[in-house]
Amino acid sequence: MRRTGLLYDERFTHHKTGPEHPEAPERLTALICGLADAGLLAKLIPIPATAARLEWIEKVHSPEYIHSFREACTLELNALGCADNQICPQSYETALLAVGGILNAVDMLMEGKIDNVFCAVRPPGHHAERREALGFCFFNNVAIAARYLQIRWEVVRVGIIDFDVHHGNGTQHIFEDDPNVFYYSIHEHPSFSYPGTGREFEKGSGAGMGMTLNSTILPGQGDDEYRRKITRDLVPAFDEFRPQVIIVSAGFDAHSADDMSYIKLSTEGFSWVMGTVFQMADQHAGGRLVSVLEGGYSLEVLPELISNHVQILLDL
Amino acid sequence: MFIDRSMTREVITVSPETGILAAQSLMARNGIRHLPVIDEDGILVGVVTDRDIRSAMPSTVLSEAEKAAEQRRLEAMKVKDIMTVNPVTVSPTQTLEDALLLMQKVKVGAFPVVDQEGKLQGIISVRDLMRAFVNVLGLEEPGTLLGIVVENKIGQMKRIVDAITETGVSFGSILVSRVWEEGKRAVFPYLLTNNISKVKNHLREKGFTLLDPMEWYLDRVPKRKAEKE
Repeated sequence: MRRTGLLYDERFTHHKTGPEHPEAPERLTALICGLADAGLLAKLIPIPATAARLEWIEKVHSPEYIHSFREACTLELNALGCADNQICPQSYETALLAVGGILNAVDMLMEGKIDNVFCAVRPPGHHAERREALGFCFFNNVAIAARYLQIRWEVVRVGIIDFDVHHGNGTQHIFEDDPNVFYYSIHEHPSFSYPGTGREFEKGSGAGMGMTLNSTILPGQGDDEYRRKITRDLVPAFDEFRPQVIIVSAGFDAHSADDMSYIKLSTEGFSWVMGTVFQMADQHAGGRLVSVLEGGYSLEVLPELISNHVQILLDL
Repeated sequence: MFIDRSMTREVITVSPETGILAAQSLMARNGIRHLPVIDEDGILVGVVTDRDIRSAMPSTVLSEAEKAAEQRRLEAMKVKDIMTVNPVTVSPTQTLEDALLLMQKVKVGAFPVVDQEGKLQGIISVRDLMRAFVNVLGLEEPGTLLGIVVENKIGQMKRIVDAITETGVSFGSILVSRVWEEGKRAVFPYLLTNNISKVKNHLREKGFTLLDPMEWYLDRVPKRKAEKE
């Protein structure tokens, strides 16, 4: 059994997105209930959420953008940019807490106090660009964690694996010219899915050429294609890159019961993906793995998917 | 959407007296395939393409002696010997649709743009048209495409736009595929949202038929005809 951390704070539900919005606070309450019902909560080491210092947010986002997000909340606007990005007065503080909690988790990981961690945070992050909120995302949690590992912990090679059904445009763009952060994403083919980026010919730029890798899945496909493409694309790429820490953008919206995409990954398919990631972390990164929640909107299957995910981290 | 808004103005040109080897390296260096040929007054007198030059090249199965002779012949050859003398041209005030349809008709990848006096003003190529269509498709804005099949009759687009607008989502573009099945059209709204299940549910409630994405089909040519060719 591993020492697995769990980042969760009731305040992550204070980011309210209004009626009929899939990225709802109930996602977190459902998944925490699921972990409790599965008897897993007691096995996890709680990670405290504290507001991140702006200094770290600014490693990824422009000060003007951060300011505009804070202002939008102060002025009680109901969206930041596109109407997708619904906010409430507490959204900015919640986003700061989510980032701060993830950085606390990174500290405990690097201090050897935990082996790996699951971060049950809201709002999600992988669509957020340097200067723009997109697709329910405000601060790019995973990107900030990667920069923090590079700067605070002097980790040279960070590997990011994004299995949310949507491409993580923000994360890709933030690291596309960085030779030391490998961004791998597997997602529904962009001609059929938001945001329309992440085509297989996008492979990074400049010094980061070859350090971005996208596997696209066609509508209606599921387990077989995930197995085939992860084995063909991700595994050899990480064998060569040898990440010292792996960060996972863990989205659960590729499940067949989730109607945000046409992809039909099964519950077992998700376990296979995460099991493979776990093995890669053992092989290259001394087991160091930071998993951060992105999408996943079916309240019916989310609790089970997260319980399985956490069980894999616990190595039960 | 006039051609002069989308054409390339900084055109790389040659004169009729330019050697074909020089023209070839000019194209290779600049990654282009068409060189307008102009006289000293800037009047278009022809076009030379990389294909014209390749056709003038000797076959590779020559003896050494023949090769040397061929090399001398090539070095002496000028653009005027191989250029197309009366190329198809367009004017700056023709439109992108003109260029698109003309390209389809004459199977040429680029047209010199000339004014009424025959003076070269620019060149418009497949690349310029693609850039314009990537823009109107909205491909560079984050969004999600949907496919809806409707009767080919008046008022259908309004129903779709109304239903989608009721969900508070904005449009990046709308494409219509003409040949779907008899009496039907496929409409493809590109929506600037990640919240697509809300839109899909609303459309289903309003009685719309959503297309299986593996059946999305943008091409105008009927499948039967394409198979025959």
